[in-house]
Amino acid sequence: MAAAAVQHLAGHEAVAARYRDVDRAYGETRDLRLLGFMFFLVSDCILFSSFIFAYVYLRVSAPTWPPIVDGHQLPWFDTSFAAMNSVVLFGSGVTMHFALENWKHLNTRKFNGWLIATIVLGIGFLLGQAHEYSVVNISWQGSTMGASFFTLTGMHGFHVFIGVCYLAILGIQANRGVYTSSKYFGLTAGTLYWHFVDVIWVALFSLFYLW
Amino acid sequence: MHAGTSTTHDAHDVHDHIHPPPEGFVRKYVFSLDHKVIGFQYFFTGLLIMFIAGSFAELVRLQLTDPKGAIMSHQAYNTMFTMHGTAMVWLVLIPLVTGALGNFVMPLQIGARDVAFPWLNMASFWILPLAALILFSSLLFGGPHAGWTEYPPISLADGTAGALWCAAIFTIGISSTMTGLNFMVTIMKMRAPGMTWTRMPLFVWATFATALMNMIATVALSAAVGALFLEHVFNVPFYDAARGGSAVLYEHMFWFYSHPAVYIFIIPAFGVVSEVIPTFSRKPIFGYKMIAFSSMAIAILAFTVWAHHMFPSGLAPWLQLPFMILTYAIGIPTGIKIFSWMATLWGGRIHFTTSMLYALGFLITFTFGGITGVFLASVPVDLHAHGTYFVVGHFHYVVAGGAVMGFLAAIPYWYPKATGRMLSERLGQLGFWLFFIGLNGTFLPMHWLGLEGMPRRYASYVDFAKAVPDAVFWNQFETAFSFLMMASIGLLAFNVIWSLRHGKVAGINPWGARTLEWTISSPPPYYNFKKVPEVYGRPYDFDKPLPYRNTDNELDAFPEYGKTVMPTPQPVGAGV
Amino acid sequence: MAQRIVTRPNDVRFKGLGPGFWPVTMVLTLLSIVNALYFLYGSIDWIMPGASQPVTDRASDIDGLFKFMAVFGGAIMLFVAGYVIYFAIAFRARSSDSPDAVGVQIHDAPKLELWWTVLPTLLLIVLTGLSIVVWYKIQFGTAAPGLTTEVIGHQFYFEYRYPGLKTSVFSKTSPMHLPVGVPVRLLITSTDVIHQFWVPEIRLKAAAVPGLVQNLNFTPLRTGTFDVACSEFCGVDHSLMHGKLVIEPVAAFKKWLDSENKTAAAAGGAINLAAGTPATGQALFAQKCAACHQIAPFEQKLVGPGLLHITDDPAHPALVTGKTPTPEHIAEILQNGFTGPIGTMPNRQANGLSNTDIANLVAYLSSLK
Repeated sequence: MAAAAVQHLAGHEAVAARYRDVDRAYGETRDLRLLGFMFFLVSDCILFSSFIFAYVYLRVSAPTWPPIVDGHQLPWFDTSFAAMNSVVLFGSGVTMHFALENWKHLNTRKFNGWLIATIVLGIGFLLGQAHEYSVVNISWQGSTMGASFFTLTGMHGFHVFIGVCYLAILGIQANRGVYTSSKYFGLTAGTLYWHFVDVIWVALFSLFYLW
Repeated sequence: MHAGTSTTHDAHDVHDHIHPPPEGFVRKYVFSLDHKVIGFQYFFTGLLIMFIAGSFAELVRLQLTDPKGAIMSHQAYNTMFTMHGTAMVWLVLIPLVTGALGNFVMPLQIGARDVAFPWLNMASFWILPLAALILFSSLLFGGPHAGWTEYPPISLADGTAGALWCAAIFTIGISSTMTGLNFMVTIMKMRAPGMTWTRMPLFVWATFATALMNMIATVALSAAVGALFLEHVFNVPFYDAARGGSAVLYEHMFWFYSHPAVYIFIIPAFGVVSEVIPTFSRKPIFGYKMIAFSSMAIAILAFTVWAHHMFPSGLAPWLQLPFMILTYAIGIPTGIKIFSWMATLWGGRIHFTTSMLYALGFLITFTFGGITGVFLASVPVDLHAHGTYFVVGHFHYVVAGGAVMGFLAAIPYWYPKATGRMLSERLGQLGFWLFFIGLNGTFLPMHWLGLEGMPRRYASYVDFAKAVPDAVFWNQFETAFSFLMMASIGLLAFNVIWSLRHGKVAGINPWGARTLEWTISSPPPYYNFKKVPEVYGRPYDFDKPLPYRNTDNELDAFPEYGKTVMPTPQPVGAGV
Repeated sequence: MAQRIVTRPNDVRFKGLGPGFWPVTMVLTLLSIVNALYFLYGSIDWIMPGASQPVTDRASDIDGLFKFMAVFGGAIMLFVAGYVIYFAIAFRARSSDSPDAVGVQIHDAPKLELWWTVLPTLLLIVLTGLSIVVWYKIQFGTAAPGLTTEVIGHQFYFEYRYPGLKTSVFSKTSPMHLPVGVPVRLLITSTDVIHQFWVPEIRLKAAAVPGLVQNLNFTPLRTGTFDVACSEFCGVDHSLMHGKLVIEPVAAFKKWLDSENKTAAAAGGAINLAAGTPATGQALFAQKCAACHQIAPFEQKLVGPGLLHITDDPAHPALVTGKTPTPEHIAEILQNGFTGPIGTMPNRQANGLSNTDIANLVAYLSSLK
């Protein structure tokens, strides 16, 4: 019963022509991994957003802020040191940007320089956080202020630490010739991740030190 | 933006060439990168855990045959319903509908050779047995007791078992998030040439909507149980009222995920029904665009209704209002789907295969569950019904009568494609009737028991039995019918295994269906498609030739029901 | 070049909307009308207790909403199930069909789709409006309360506090009392974990959340005795957390409050620990304490710690009040109770213990070696 059929073709040919090249048939690899990595950053963002929601909820529903523990009101955070530490971190974002730009233009030595600067600044930030933790006069367990501060900045610090390790590995890989001037997705991912860590810090700094 | 990748001959590309076949038992079946094998792994693991979680449910039902509690202590009972719910939600339902079905079917339906990130896919699967191990190990410490929701402060009394519960949920959350991410990129970037968004099969739309929710919502759950874990182990006060924390905060964080979670269960089932009904009615799906877009609408609205689980729980009164309104609103796209499926049945040539029976049953039981949901959406009625068996009845109708029924429709439908054999129709039909009758008998009486005064999570109900003497009969009635459901799943397991050897050999397209997976052999080769097929239209027009070009096999222009594909001398859709 | 679409011939073999479509529709309409009449005029007491004689003003509002939803929800269910079954039968593939037989190749019907979107939306808008009216009445009440009562959840009993009553009333030993016809506000909270105060006939519940106070406002309309149940999982004995609510005329309520005041005053006096007998204490323990404590080593917690060797073990941990485990300090806890971060030891009133009861229990615990 299968009669010969004429397929309605106007419009279809145009669509198919765009995909005639079999190499491009399944979408481009560059988009795949970049998209995947961006989605990963989105989900990481939601993780931070959820804890930020918890912090805002607890702060807004508390009778006083800082909360009163054992009859004493906890002190506000000291903004000046944290502000300096933030400059260190944002600076590392700038250096990372230059590292990637230099890689694209095949300046391996300059790339290495900027990458090392980024790593050093990142470690500097972590040391600054360690100092802040030792100086801040609240405990993780004593109040919701401590709970939210240490949990959120701790998660962030963990992300910075992973980032520093990742950048170091990227540096080693780059110098071993794994990446070329046109194929360097790992470096792009590292840069994006590092900028993400900066963006999260903007939010945390504003929420804990400026609010 | 140039992201530093190139399109050819990258070590990561499985997409533009066919990679050599995997070798060795371990690479082929244990640590396989093949989405089809991973789908199988999810299927068997999920089914195994379903038996365990289902047995816990049977113990719960046996306990309730006597108002004093027939077989176990309160503490043991509390562990039983907690583990039943926890395992079913995270270790059975989500892995089966996304991991098993989504993995196996979706790449085939879009004409892809695998998912976007096969290694991530494999890792996502292996997290499942790990999470199951962590969860079940909590039983060594007495098990968690406070229900699958594990609200603090009471859940903090669970000690080590509670911390392990948190760890298990956090772990499986990673798997869900990664799978969601993987599927989204796959669908967005790896469809066959010519397959525009509005030419995608509806199961793919459903998988996309589900993947979106999986990717965004699961992380919120990780935060909720992560904070609970910190409170368990390090005494960090997120939820402890004495130190400024809030138990209601946990509920917000938990339900922000858990409401989308229920749509994660059901939307793949919607997708399955959207495939099964047209195929076995031999006519196009009615209202393709509305069904596709309503899946996306539901996925987005799902994030706005979570507090309807919290109406009596301590919300500011004005907050109840928007959640009530949005919950009503989400009923509209769902209703549109039901009506569209019914219109698909109308005027068709309906074949009563096992899949179709489950799809028909789905239409009835899911609608009933949806209507009782509307009752619960109304704040005043919810203030009566919350925390009672009415809710237990409602969600089992939509979950067992919706998501599970959809899954059970998918199995006989795609089993022939996956294995090259047909499942036994006789056993399938018997299984359907056992499940359908069992489900209604078990969960219908819960509605009136709940409204009459039976709260949920009760290990004994002596006072309620005094107030409502019928309660004992109905509880025993429910228990009896629950065994029919267990029998049905047991029959399914037997059928699946028996048919591997003894099932009728299936051809390429035993159902005369029209989506891309039915253009390749059963089972497909590891690379799925040797040639990249080109797509010229939607797959649901039974009066038009198959809208594909460049398929691996020469196909009938009009696949027929019950006939396996025969090659025809004329190429399909040849230009004139 | 002319584009032609050539399709397969349509295999439609029925007239109109299908064989028997209109008779089926009539039957479904009739059934829906019967459903509506039943819910509007019949007795729904079997599913909503006390519906025919509403116990509170809010209860009749909620029942009204319920009936509205049952009428329309029932109709929708009948039509969906009815049409699904009818279509399955009317449009089944016959064995005489050729294998390539297909159904009516329609893709959409915009006018039909418009109606089936607009009508349910209108229905839901009406339902929303009705729900908002009832919601408003529940949340904000109409009259100022004539009586404010506190309901405090504990593991595993409710404590009720009335204005003018110096002590509390405990659900394990006494029902909650409310006067009929007086608008009442319940202030609900908890001292330990989340509970939920629910009286089915009242149709309202509220979670008892530690650190929060919730309101329930209603006016009891008729007298009677009703069940109170906890409906949020709160621990091992959640299923046993029950009580009674007595709604009575105002005069009887006042009399009850007076008698409670007198009982509270009379319950003082010293406890004579020397007069306690271990055997009586043991029987009492099984009745009052075994739900939460085992006679087992300290670490074997049920809800509260194990009580073996509580007095004869020099290394036994301090009591929850921080004091050493002597008979006097044990008696103190039995008198006053204790509320901690997770868990409450009920006081003597909550447990219904008299002075002799306390003496007997202490004697029993001291006898455990």
